[in-house]
Parts: sequence; structure tokens; C-alpha cells
Amino acid sequence: MPMKGRFPVRRTLQYLSQGDVVFKSSVKVMTVNYNTAGQLSEGARKFVFFNIPQIQYKNPWVQIMLFRNMTPSPFLRFYLDSGEQVLVDVEDKTNKEITEHVKKILGKNKEMLEREERERKKLSHPATFGPKKYHLRECMCEIEGQVPCPAFVPLPKEMRGKYKAAMKNEA
Amino acid sequence: MAPRGSLLLLALLLLSCALPRARGQHWSHGWYPGGKRDLRTPANLPAWAPRAVPARGRKTRYDPPAKSKAGRVKLPPPVDPEELLVVLERYRQHRLVLSALRAEFRAEVLQRKREERLAAQGSAEELEEHRRLMAWNEEENARQRARREERLRKEEEEQKRRKLEIAEKQARKMEAFVEEKEKEVLQLQEEAKNFITPENLEARIEECLDNPRNYNFAIDKDGRIVKRTVLS
Repeated sequence: MPMKGRFPVRRTLQYLSQGDVVFKSSVKVMTVNYNTAGQLSEGARKFVFFNIPQIQYKNPWVQIMLFRNMTPSPFLRFYLDSGEQVLVDVEDKTNKEITEHVKKILGKNKEMLEREERERKKLSHPATFGPKKYHLRECMCEIEGQVPCPAFVPLPKEMRGKYKAAMKNEA
Repeated sequence: MAPRGSLLLLALLLLSCALPRARGQHWSHGWYPGGKRDLRTPANLPAWAPRAVPARGRKTRYDPPAKSKAGRVKLPPPVDPEELLVVLERYRQHRLVLSALRAEFRAEVLQRKREERLAAQGSAEELEEHRRLMAWNEEENARQRARREERLRKEEEEQKRRKLEIAEKQARKMEAFVEEKEKEVLQLQEEAKNFITPENLEARIEECLDNPRNYNFAIDKDGRIVKRTVLS
């Protein structure tokens, strides 16, 4: 089965998770107006083609709408939940510049992201073991430094109930 | 031979006695530890799972019931209606209260979480930060606007210049054309002086007849007339 699309790398998880624009929770809708022809819209077109999948992957609850050939110059518009609208002019900018700009004004910065990550980590304790859904490891034998699973490495004689019982009977 | 055979028999007997734990027992006897109720399925259920005992036993689902059960009437267990009413009512109230309490606690927890989230969001410094970023965005937009206006202005100038050039070229072409035409007209005027009109026709004919011209001549390589024939 051949790969789909002109740049199928855009569909890989690795590429998508490399996107670093995570919007603040007040951003609800993002609208992109751009033109399909013309040198001035080139950056906007590249942005739509390469960077919007990454943004949508990181912000699944933000609605993104694209409008083609409706205005003479390209721009982005963000609708926040307070009703505020933020206009970003992207004429004559490369797609990298556009992402940097957007990240600066409406993206969560690094320390916020790290803080959230830490909060998430606090909810679960990594040292416990149990069902795979809630813990990292299922059995104590998987933890490093503990007795390995007797299914793979037989237990030493002294730990086996059979031996212990035999010893007790002997004595 | 005979003691060997008896020994063998003894060994077999011992073996059979020593294997009471074999799974080949009858289901109704319950000899293995725990009895009938210790049936652990091969799926190895977790310890907290209820173990169901099969109620059918000997017969399959499709065997007919025994003849002794021909006149059997299966009745539901007897119930005291007053007791039933009382018990049901009590249970209903208990469950009502419990579910109300649970809903109450759940709502409280959610409320607290929401408040915490809002407090984290709408703090003063965050708003300040937001406003600063929006101001920066406005500046950026203004810069972009300036750049765009500059570009448009340049384009307009360029276009005007081009138009001017074209107009000039056009004008020059027109001029040249006009000049040419003028020259032609002048030349024609000049020649018109020598035209033969009906008035001076007679005079011109007389003139020609009076001055015969000789058009036969030879030229050498340098273009000079060398010889002329004699006019006859």
C-alpha cells in the first residue's frame, strides 16, 4: 500500500508531536484567510500545509477554519473565549516566522507546560504496580532489583516451598 | 514370577491410592481439597471474582425432565406483602438519600476544581502578560502595515514610470511618422512643379520634340559614360 499525499511525513506521529505550539485555554477558534496564488501568500500556504496539522494535533479542542481566496492579503484571526479577537497579519512572512509569532502571543510557554507535566505526574505513583491501565508494571517481578519472575529464571532452592517442606520434614 | 506379579499388583494399588488428587474423579464426590466448591477455571479468575457452580450436573440442557417431576408446579418463594412494602420503602429511601449525598459531594469536588482552575487562569499577572502580548502583536501588525504600504507605494511609482516611458515612446514614434509624412509631402510638392498638366501639355510636347535626348550610352567600370551613339 503506497503512502498517501504529497508529503506523507506530515501524517507520522513523530512529526505531529514535534509541533511546539500549545494554545492557552482561552483560545477557542483559529481562522486562516489565505490565497492559493501569489508570492505574498506563500508563507501562509506553507503554514497551512505543514504546521497546521501539528497545531491541531497538540490542540484537539481548538476549531481551525481555512478560507481561500476571499481577501487580497493573508491573515490569521484568533477568537478567545472572552470574545476578544486577535488579528495577525502574515503577508510576506515565512511559515517559520508565523509559527514563532503565534507561539509568542498565544502559546503556553515552556514553564507553564512543565508545570502542567509535573501536575500530571503527581496523580500517579510510578513505584506501584498493578493493572497495566493504571500502573507502569504489573507484577513485582518486573521491578529492577527484585526477585525475577520464576517463569524465566528458576528460584534458588532455598526459596522454594518444596525444599523448605523437605528440610522441615527431615529435621 | 508369582511374588513379582503380586509385587506389581501391590505397586499398582499403592499408586492408585497415592493419586487421590487426580482430576478423573466423579463430579459429585468432591475429593480434591476444597470439595466441589474449589473448582478454579483454567482462565484463573482473580480472587475476588464470584465462582459459579454449575447447577445442571448430569444432564444437558436438551434432556427432558424426569417422570417424577411431571406434576411439579414451580412456585416463587412466599412473600409477606406488608413486610415487602415496608422493606421496599425503606430501601427506596436509603438509596435516595445515598445517591443525593453522592451527587452533592461530586458537585462540590467539581466546583472546587473549577474554582482552582479559574483562579490559576484569571490572575492579575496573567492578564497583564496577555495585554502586553496583544500590544506587541498590534505593533507587529503596524510594522507589517508600514511595510505593505511602502511596497504598494513603490509598485505604484514603478507603474507610473513605466506608463510615462510608454507614452514618451509613443510620442516619439508619432513624431517620426509625422516627419516622414511631411518629407514625402514636400517631395511631392517639388515634383508637382514638373508635372504635365493639360495646360502645358502642348508646350511640353513641343519642348520634347525640340530637344531629342539620347539614352544610349556605355559606361566603364567606374561609371563614367564612355561612348554615346550618334543620334539619328
